[in-house]
Amino acid sequence: MTRPGAITPPEALDRVEETLGPWVEEHKLNFGAVDFICKPENLVRVMRRLRDSEHLGCVFFTFLSGVDRSELGEGGGGLEVLIHVYSPEFAIHVTVHVPVDPAAPECPSISGIYKGALWHERETHEMFGILFPGHPHLTTLYLPEDFEGHPMLRSFKLPTRVVKAWPGAKDPEEAAAGGR
Amino acid sequence: MFDITLATWQILVIKVLVILTVVPLGALVGGYAEHKVMAHLQHRLGPMYPGGWHGWATTLADGIKFLLKEDIIPAAADRKVFSFAPAAIMVPIIMTYLVIPIDRNLVIEDLDVGLFYLLAIGSLSTIGLLMAGWSSANKYALIGALRSAAQLIAYELPIVLAAAVVAMLAGSLSLIDIVEAQNFPFAVWPPGIGLVAFLLFTIGAVAEMTRVPFDMPVAESEIITGPFTEYSGMRYIFSHMFAEMGHMVAFGGIAATLFLGGYKPIVPLRILEFIPGVFWFAGKTMFMIFLFLWIRPTFPRVREDQLQKFAWKFLIPVGLVLILATGAWVLYV
Amino acid sequence: MAMTTEGPKPASRGAGAEGRLQTEEMILNVGPQHPATHGVFRLLATIDGEILINAEPVIGYMHRGYEKLVEQRDYRQITNLVSRMDWLSGINNELPLAMAVEQLMEIEVPPRAQYLRVILCEMNRILNHLMFFASFGAELGAITPTFYAFREREDIQRVMEATTGGRMHFGFFRPGGLKEDVPRGFVDEALKGVRQVIERLPDYENLLVGNEIFKQRTIDVGVLDREAAYSYGVTGPIARGSGIDMDIRKDEPYLVYDKFDFDVCSAPNGDCFDRFWVLVGEVGESARIVEQAIEDLPPGPIMGKVPRVVQAPAGEVYVRTENPLGELGMYLVSDGDRRPYRLKIRTPSYSNVSALSHVLANTYVSDMIAILGSFFFVLGDIDR
Repeated sequence: MTRPGAITPPEALDRVEETLGPWVEEHKLNFGAVDFICKPENLVRVMRRLRDSEHLGCVFFTFLSGVDRSELGEGGGGLEVLIHVYSPEFAIHVTVHVPVDPAAPECPSISGIYKGALWHERETHEMFGILFPGHPHLTTLYLPEDFEGHPMLRSFKLPTRVVKAWPGAKDPEEAAAGGR
Repeated sequence: MFDITLATWQILVIKVLVILTVVPLGALVGGYAEHKVMAHLQHRLGPMYPGGWHGWATTLADGIKFLLKEDIIPAAADRKVFSFAPAAIMVPIIMTYLVIPIDRNLVIEDLDVGLFYLLAIGSLSTIGLLMAGWSSANKYALIGALRSAAQLIAYELPIVLAAAVVAMLAGSLSLIDIVEAQNFPFAVWPPGIGLVAFLLFTIGAVAEMTRVPFDMPVAESEIITGPFTEYSGMRYIFSHMFAEMGHMVAFGGIAATLFLGGYKPIVPLRILEFIPGVFWFAGKTMFMIFLFLWIRPTFPRVREDQLQKFAWKFLIPVGLVLILATGAWVLYV
Repeated sequence: MAMTTEGPKPASRGAGAEGRLQTEEMILNVGPQHPATHGVFRLLATIDGEILINAEPVIGYMHRGYEKLVEQRDYRQITNLVSRMDWLSGINNELPLAMAVEQLMEIEVPPRAQYLRVILCEMNRILNHLMFFASFGAELGAITPTFYAFREREDIQRVMEATTGGRMHFGFFRPGGLKEDVPRGFVDEALKGVRQVIERLPDYENLLVGNEIFKQRTIDVGVLDREAAYSYGVTGPIARGSGIDMDIRKDEPYLVYDKFDFDVCSAPNGDCFDRFWVLVGEVGESARIVEQAIEDLPPGPIMGKVPRVVQAPAGEVYVRTENPLGELGMYLVSDGDRRPYRLKIRTPSYSNVSALSHVLANTYVSDMIAILGSFFFVLGDIDR
């Protein structure tokens, strides 16, 4: 009972490889979703191809967000933009990782391709401090305009956790690490 | 009946006192009826505690609560107009009670042009609504005031046309004469014409009272309470709750007089005449009020442009055709 | 009665010298406190008389920063946190979190727990949909549907309360299964509740859907076309009202949804009426699922093999479930700790409401309310 016309994940991986070939790196399957890394300069081209290619047809925009991998340990990395799109026709899930420079984070806006990205990019902008050139109205979405800092970065500590140990802690080392 | 002679001023005082008792009483009873009828139509009980028996004192308690509340006038409001608007809304409604005949000899002022007077007075409260809306210095109030002005103008016409039908059938503008002319209520006889006129009048009345489905001017989910958005306490209850209830009772009485035969029995049988006219009139008025109350929980709200289209493109043409039909009936039947 | 619905035309604005009436646009601030917004939600509307030129939703009045908070808390605490996002469908919010952890930890959930999850989720869906049935009617001025819907809600609500102990925030799903088994008498009471809903559904349809004024207010109003729905990532009843037959329960059956016979309701036009139609239709389908699930409910344990401390191994997974309002997805990045390293929560209302300004342009002020009502959003779900 899956969608009519759905293709299996390995098939989807092949199609993505075929269509996007040189522009993407490290494509693999992760829990049934096609997962790859794309450089910011190729992003707009890749997303447009994903949406318009008749073999992929990823017209459905799921979400765009950021991940700060700086504390993820080995194989971690830096800041990245995370995009997920879906193809209702072939039931393909695509996760795009776009690594950005943590010093001057910038990623081209895809709001011209997926209108849903308008809000998601604003949110990512205020939460991670990533700039989206090409976005028509890149202002804060949730936070007040005069808010300082980018809360979702790992370097942004929750003040209460720094001042006061985590009350739910069971082990002493856990309480100490509370404000991580 | 009674052999008492009173000076003119004494009569005047009595009349004023009567009016000032009847109108608030009507509004209170109307409000209670609204609570209860709506509740029972929605499988609820409604208010049960105030006063003891089935919450009979609910509206009274409500009224006192509102009277005791602080009267807030927004800083940006035009104070004079803002404070005067509730009176401008309320007075014309009270004045409609003057000419409604409760029994053959029980009417405060039997005007020769009673019907004309009713229609003229009825449209005056629009000015009050506009005053309230404009002086509040609130955008919602302004939209609400404009909506209600447009709506009252549009729905005044079907009422006038329906009333004209009644005047033509009765051959008089005096409300007593109109009642006397109804051996059978006009809503039943002449067949068809009377019923359509009655429906036209009822629809127009619901719209005049700005009740669902024609409550665009006070639509609470859109523009809060329209012109009354900024009102509070006593001014709010007088301009909105009280006016709406007073309006409803007044329209119930007018419809009973014009279309249901007023204080006369529904069928011209001698045996029914022993029931006093007051009871007939009250029963018919209550029936009309129940009808108004019944409409409210039944329908969603009509949109502003649909509301206007419905009046101008449907009700008014029907009314005009109806006038022609009535003319033919009066001439040839 | 010929009341055709035509698109509104902005009044001509121009030089007063030509003798035309000069008009001015007005900015109307709808919210943050407004009866039609179900919470603190603001709409900056530019209006020209009764015509809405454009409207820009402003959100963030109750942003609680869940995505940051969850990084400080372990998985058992997060269950209660996510339950408070969409407060009308708490138990549905807990599901993707539990599933994400289960997928990373490779826990197998026993069948009884899976069936019970389906039953509870679908009952919660009925609760949610009836709530929006009620509020949509109220927004259009019909007050009675509210009371009808709440009568049925209460029966199901009582079953949920007896089972989980909560009426809104259930906190019942755990990674690996459920908090506890259902109480005695659950089967009978739940069946009674949903059968009553099925029985009374035609009444609802007669009350609102069949009403002429209701049709005038909703048909061809606020049309959301298919392409825009895809592009904005609109899901749930709203997307299905635009002719998109996407339903994750059917497309990628999670839990045991593939064992039940139910239909995906969809309607082609994308107007308010179709969205509402889909919503009402889904109540019946959910009730059908609950009936079937209760009939097949297997005995057995309700918790899989879960270590004492839940620690998801390092990895990334995206889990999507069909929340009552659309696709609720959670992208979990774990570094092997008992807390998630990053949890991106993709909530349905957020994406759905981002399409509002697209739909609201050039409508009537009164249509704005119908459209807001038919977008079925919960503020907590937008602002997380």
